[in-house]
Formats: sequence, C-alpha cells, structure tokens
Amino acid sequence: MTQEQTADRPRVDAYEKVLGRALYAADQPIAGLLHGMTVPATIAKGRIEAIDLTAATNVRGVVRIFTHDDFSQIKTTPAARGAYGRPSKGYQPMTGPIVRHRGEPVALVVAETLEAAIEGAEAVKVRYAEEAFSAAMEDDRASREPEPESQLSSGDAETAFATASHRIDVEYLHPQQHHNPIELISTTAAFEDGELRIYEGTQAASAFAGGLAGMMGMDPTRLRGVSPYTGGGFGQKNGIQEQSVLVASAAILLRRPVKLVMPRGQLFHTASYRPRSRHRVRLGADEQGRLLAGLYETVQQNSRYDGFGCEHGANPPRMYGYGAWLGSDRIVRVDTQTPGHQRAPHEHPSSYATECAMDELAEAVGMDPVELRIANDAQRDPITGKPFSSRHLADCLRRGAELFDWNRRSREPGALVAENGDLIGLGVACGSYKGSMTPAVTTLRLFASGRCEIATSGHEMGQGIRSVIAAELIDVLGVDPEKLDIRIGDTGHAPQHVTAGSWGTGSAAPAARSAAVKLREELNLLTGSALSEEPIHLQLARTRRPVLEVTVNTIPLGKDAQVIEQLRRGIPSTTGPEYPEFMAFSWIAHFAEVHLEASTGRVRVKRVVSVADCGRVMNRRTAESQVRGGVIWGIGAALREVGETDPRFGGVLNNDLAEYVVPVNADIGAIDVDFIDQPDFKLNPSGVKGLGEVAMVGATAAVVNAVYNATGRRIRHLPIRIEDLL
Amino acid sequence: MSDPHDRQFLEITRRQVLEAGTIVAVSGMLPVAAQAQASSSQLAPENGVTVQVRFQINGQPSVLEIDARASLLDMLRERLGLVGAKKGCDHGQCGACTVHIDGRRVASCLTLAAKIDGRDVTTIEGVGSADTLHPMQQAFIDHDALQCGYCTPGQIMAAIACVKEGHASTPEEIREYMSGNICRCGAYVGIVAAIEQAAPQIERG
Ligand code: FES
Ligand code: FES
Repeated sequence: MTQEQTADRPRVDAYEKVLGRALYAADQPIAGLLHGMTVPATIAKGRIEAIDLTAATNVRGVVRIFTHDDFSQIKTTPAARGAYGRPSKGYQPMTGPIVRHRGEPVALVVAETLEAAIEGAEAVKVRYAEEAFSAAMEDDRASREPEPESQLSSGDAETAFATASHRIDVEYLHPQQHHNPIELISTTAAFEDGELRIYEGTQAASAFAGGLAGMMGMDPTRLRGVSPYTGGGFGQKNGIQEQSVLVASAAILLRRPVKLVMPRGQLFHTASYRPRSRHRVRLGADEQGRLLAGLYETVQQNSRYDGFGCEHGANPPRMYGYGAWLGSDRIVRVDTQTPGHQRAPHEHPSSYATECAMDELAEAVGMDPVELRIANDAQRDPITGKPFSSRHLADCLRRGAELFDWNRRSREPGALVAENGDLIGLGVACGSYKGSMTPAVTTLRLFASGRCEIATSGHEMGQGIRSVIAAELIDVLGVDPEKLDIRIGDTGHAPQHVTAGSWGTGSAAPAARSAAVKLREELNLLTGSALSEEPIHLQLARTRRPVLEVTVNTIPLGKDAQVIEQLRRGIPSTTGPEYPEFMAFSWIAHFAEVHLEASTGRVRVKRVVSVADCGRVMNRRTAESQVRGGVIWGIGAALREVGETDPRFGGVLNNDLAEYVVPVNADIGAIDVDFIDQPDFKLNPSGVKGLGEVAMVGATAAVVNAVYNATGRRIRHLPIRIEDLL
Repeated sequence: MSDPHDRQFLEITRRQVLEAGTIVAVSGMLPVAAQAQASSSQLAPENGVTVQVRFQINGQPSVLEIDARASLLDMLRERLGLVGAKKGCDHGQCGACTVHIDGRRVASCLTLAAKIDGRDVTTIEGVGSADTLHPMQQAFIDHDALQCGYCTPGQIMAAIACVKEGHASTPEEIREYMSGNICRCGAYVGIVAAIEQAAPQIERG
C-alpha cells in the first residue's frame, strides 16, 4: 500500500454518464409531482402593493399560487442566501411585501403540468411602488463601507515603494461574472419514508437541509438533503437558493411533491455571481528586479444585505518574497442581487491584477517575466514568516517554460508573426490557492462477496471526487472499482460538509484512506496474521464473516473533535492556509500563446501549457481535465465573459447563454497539462493539496500578458474585446 | 392573497398544528403529506389543448396525447421519463437537450412535441447499451470527455451526428461543428479527441 503516483484510470462514474443514466436532481422519478414556476420582480427596489391572481388562477391545471402572504412565517436565518453564516445578513424573498433586487421571486405558481405553471406565472399581475436605487458601485447612491474588510501588512511598504528604483502604479478592473453551470438549479421536495426529502444539486447537503429546517421551524431530523449528481457547481450551489425554501414550503402546504427548475434568465438574478471589483496595484523593485514593496487596494461590489466578504488581498503577498507589503480590501454596497463564491472567488481577480502588474514590472526592469518570478521566489510567507508546507512554483515555471518553448518569446511586442500574418504573443502568469481540509464521518463496509460500500462527506459536481475516493480504496484495499458503491452528497448516508474551496480531495482522500487502513487493521485482528496479497474479500470470507464495517472520524490538521459535532449540524469548519507550523498552498504556472488577426482584432488562444503543484495527483486523467477546465474559465474571463448590469433598471441585460458568452469548442486550442506530483504529507496522510481552483488562478493574466506581447497594448479591464485592439 | 381556498387551507394547517402541539405548521404536517403523496396518481392529466402524436421513440412505436404547448424536451422528460436529454437553457443555446429526429440532430427544447408526429426520435437512452457501448460513448470515457456529465448526453448525440454529417475530418472542423454544445466544465479537448477516435469506427460501421 504505497501511494501510487499519477494513477490514470477512467472516471468511476463515466459509464453511467455516457449512457445518460446518471440522475441529477431534476431527473428523479417521483409519483404525483407538481410543477412550479416563479414570477420574477420587474423592479429593483420597492414594495409590492397588490398582486392580481385572477387570470392566473383561471389557467387550467394551476393548483395554487403562493405569494408573500403564504410565506411570512419563513425565517431569515444565517443560512439564508447571502448571509454566509452571519446573523442579520442575508435575505429570503417572498417573506414580506418588499423587493430588494430585480428578478427576485414575488410569486410561485404550482400546477399539474409544467406548461400550465409557465402560463400561470405569465398571467400573474403585480403592482409595485418603486423606490430609488443604485445598481453600480460607481453610482452616487452606492455606499462604501467605512472600514476595510481585511488588511495585511508587513514592514513599511509606503517608504519602500517611494524609494524603489522601478515603480508600477496601475489599476485593473474586473467585471461581474456568472457561473452558468449547464445544470439549471432545480429544487424538488417530496415525501418519502415519513421524511421530507429535498433534491437539489447542491454542494452542501447538510447545511442545506439543516438551514432549510431552521428557516421553516422544522425538526432537522425530518428533513433529508439529497444532492445526487451535480451538473457543475463552481460555487453557485454552495448554499441555500432563493427558491429552495419556497418549494419546500409549497410541498408541505399542498401535501404533494413539487419540482421547480429555475429558468436561466431568472437564475442570473437569484443565484450568486462574481461581483465587480477594482484593483490598484503598486509594485516597487530594485535594479535587479528584487521586489521591495507591494501595495494593493481593492474594492468589491456587494448587495445591501450580503455577508460575502472581500478577500482579494489574501494570496498576492504569498506569491513572492516581498520586502514589505500593505493591502486593504473594501466593500461597496448597491441594490442588486447578492454575490458569492465563484471558482477562485478572490484568487482569480487578484491574480489577474497582480500578475499583469508583474508583467508590467518585468518590462520596466527589463527582465524576462519568468526570470523575474523565479528571482523573487519565496520559501517563507512574507506576512506571517512561516514556511510553506511545500512550494514548487519555480519548478512549475521552469518545466512550463521548457514544454512551451518560452525561449522563442521576444521582449519586443509584435515581433513574432505567424505564416498567415497573425501576430503571435506569449505570456506567463502564476497562481496559488490555499490548501484546505474539512472533517468527515466515514463508514466503510467490505462484503465477503467483494462488494465495498463507502458513505462519506462529499459532493460530485464533475471534479471527480468519486474517482478520488475510489483511488484510495483501490490503493489500500485493492478492491474492484466495479464493485464499489460510493454514497456521498446525501445526509441520509453521512453528514455532508460543503464541498468547495478546493478542499474536496484533501478531505475525501484522507477520509477514505484512513477508513481503508482501519479496515485492514480490523481484518488483521480477525485473521490473526498479516494480510497476504490475495484479494482482501477472500481473506475476509475465510474468517466466516459476511461483512466487516468500520467507522472513522477524520479531523483535519489543527482542529479538534468539536468539528465532528459541527459537521453533523451542517456548520462549515475549514482549515488553511495558515496552520500552526506552516502555510499551505497549491501553486501553478500558466503559459499562453495567442494569435491576433491584425485587421479584425480577433484573438485566438492557440495553446496553453499549465504546470501545477497540487501535492500528490490522485488520478492523472481527471486531474488533467480539471486543469483544462480551469484554464478554459481563465480564457473565458480574459476574452468573453461579463454580466452587463443596466444602471437604469438594475438587472443583468445579457441574462442568457447567447448574450453571456462562455467559451465554446471552437474557442479552445491545445491545453497541455503537467504536474510536479510531489506529495505533501505535512498536510494530510494522502499527500494532497487541492486543484480545482488553482487551475484557474493566473490563467487570465497569462492570456492578457500574451495579448500585450502580441500588440504592445496594456488593456486593464476584462474581457478584452475586438474594439480594444483595433 | 384573496383566494378563499387559500384562507381555508391556511386555517386547516393552523388547526392541525395546534392539534399536533408543534410550534410551526410544517413539522406536524409531514405524515399527512406523505400519505397524500403515496395515494396520488403516476401521471398528471394534460390540461391544455391536446394533440395526439404517433412516433417512434428509440425504435418503439408510440402514441401519446400531449399538451400542444409542450416542447419535445419536456415531453421526453416529464411524460416519458426519458431524462437523459437535459435542460440547460430551454432556448436552443446550450445543446444539452440534443436528440436525433430521423437521424438529424435537433435541440429538443426548441422543437414542439406536436411536430414529431410520424417521425423517428432517438435519445441517449437509445444509443448503446450496458453491455455494448456505442463507439462514441467508449471514446468519451477513454478521453475523459466529461466532468459533471450534464452536457454529455447532448454532446454524444451531437458528436454522432457530426460524424454522420461528414463534419469530423479534422480537429478544426470538429471544433466548429461541435460549438453548439456548451460544456461549462470545459471538456472540449477530450471531446475533440473522442470524436477523432470514434469517427473512423462509426464510418466503417
Ligand atoms: S436546453 Fe435545449 S439547447 Fe439548451
Ligand atoms: S461535463 Fe459539465 S458541462 Fe460538460
């Protein structure tokens, strides 16, 4: 049982998925299901004066129409959407006659068929009294929070900057973006085995179930949260949705199961998104390019009532050996829907701003951008002075430069030209993401028949968490992957910690591994001798036991047994990046090659090379896919994605997939991925850090820096469009 | 809320709450609700203007009385229980609902169910089987051309059609002709590789 390096196996659930048999939340076969459809608010702020239901009630098939009158008992708790666990924050629509953002549900029509529900929803007439509002953080009515959310510092950065030989002082603007997983967010509430079961593709089944029970004043043990397969999460599904409690309450009041599949146009206003942010970066370096000072101030848009923090400053000071640092992050409140975590929530925008600024510094100093980064490599965190648990960023840069053939890059912009006349630009940028872990309660059963069942914490949203769990069980027990039954995302099987923040692997792998190790030990006790090479279930069969079961609690580094109690109640408890002895991060270097058609300004990303240090690689195939996915998100951010808010109406104008443009197949060229694959056993016994988010961090900056190398133009906003380059 | 039915309903719930001695309505109502669900029928009656359609679905002849407003996607999912085709936008923008009608790929969310009268519909459930995967399904596994898997049934239906249309001769051509199917997880590199692998097998077959 040595940790096998870079195993390459098919994804364990690929078979079901290619056959179309994987059931997502909206796919559950439930008898007597009613269909819901919400009516979105058409004002940005104000009061509901009257709702006329006459026409809607007359639509054949409509069973009932719910309004705020029906749901006034629902409580807004720290679990409500946008609260992020903070009391007095968050907001649950339809609990009173008010509207706090455009597009929030003001009525829920429930009908025998989907067609009737849609027609009924269109027939609901609402009269509003509108109030003045602000939908943009640059607006006069926007309120700037008096105190910064966070501030990190070390040394006297102002003085160090003022006396530096080379100085960069730039501002980068990051737009609003929307996750848009292809699975629409659906909620199905049904009664099964005397309990209320809620199916929703959530990343946090326990918090979801416990939170909903709290909002409805229900005994949490009577409510089961089931997140079967999740059709992409990216952070949008890590909490209770505005629709969740409405559907659950409707089912209870109607005594019938109800399903709501929220249309994408409404999700742009009810689900979370990445808020707009501004980043001022000042970098000071000496003649040799040594970083003497970094000063970094950010502001980020938020809703009036939201608890989502502004933490852009957390990672940049850890990237390089800054002599001194000063950072501050501040929130500006406006009357829009509530933002939230979207893949690398702050790490992506902050890496965009600071890694582009590094490219500007390299030019000012006259150094190669790869060399500048390697020259400033750090072995200790400049803020806390602690060492890193592991850091192979310089190796990522060196290996990436070689795979990418970086040496062909010219410092002179526009010097490389393709055969067809396109300008070629090459760019580099780096990223980091905290190494984080969460607790788990794991039950593992081995049957003498060879079947193996595991119930643990985790949600499968495509990142491959089932494949990671399988990899550890195969590694330790040699079980047959075909006979594995992995039960996750369901509070009926095990308590479910929210799966986000790239801690899925770092939590699920050690949980599965320690359960498997314990099972071997127990079997050892039963057989009375060391286990042989023979298949493990045969060794169990010889003890005349049909099944052997073990339960293991895994408590992450630096935490105590209390976290298990929190886990059972659905309260998140995560670790990192700071641990008693060290700081833990995953690292990555991205290299991008863009081709620019000079007459039209069209940019194509021909090739990306990404080299990641994520600790041990659990499954090379799924890990490569995850990095490619992150890089594609980086390309989307660089060249395509922006949620356009209309300041006159407060809504997202481009609220569908035709107008909110995400990368399609034709936008993507080669993406070559490699890994350092050095286990980090300081962090956990599986030696893993995290991958899903670091994959994206820095990718946008690499593309933007490549555009500069092709054109000589520094575009300091996203996305870069044709009109910026003509 | 002005509907007298609703008032009556709310009063019932309050009375039941008092009887059950619980603080809030919902906890007390669970067992009742569970019974109500168990006794309800399997399929809701159609309640709009209906039309009768005769069609083949994955090789099976079928006749169905359907709501004239229904999309093919909603009919497949909500009436026939064929949930392999997914809803990602309902506007013809993502490709997750791709099925074949008479062998050609269509966005089933943009196709009225009434239009399939006399046609032959194939969904992912009609492609390959547990014992024998279609070469395209095998290629998707081999190249890890999926992550969350939500777009995958649509990608596979589009990919098979892409090959049959003769649009899979180069990677560039595949990328162009597969650009109606969005994969937010970003499995595009694997999807192109999978189609390159499966194309010659499908063409031979
Ligand atoms: S659901 Fe039909 S194209 Fe998106
Ligand atoms: S695999 Fe998730 S959208 Fe394609």
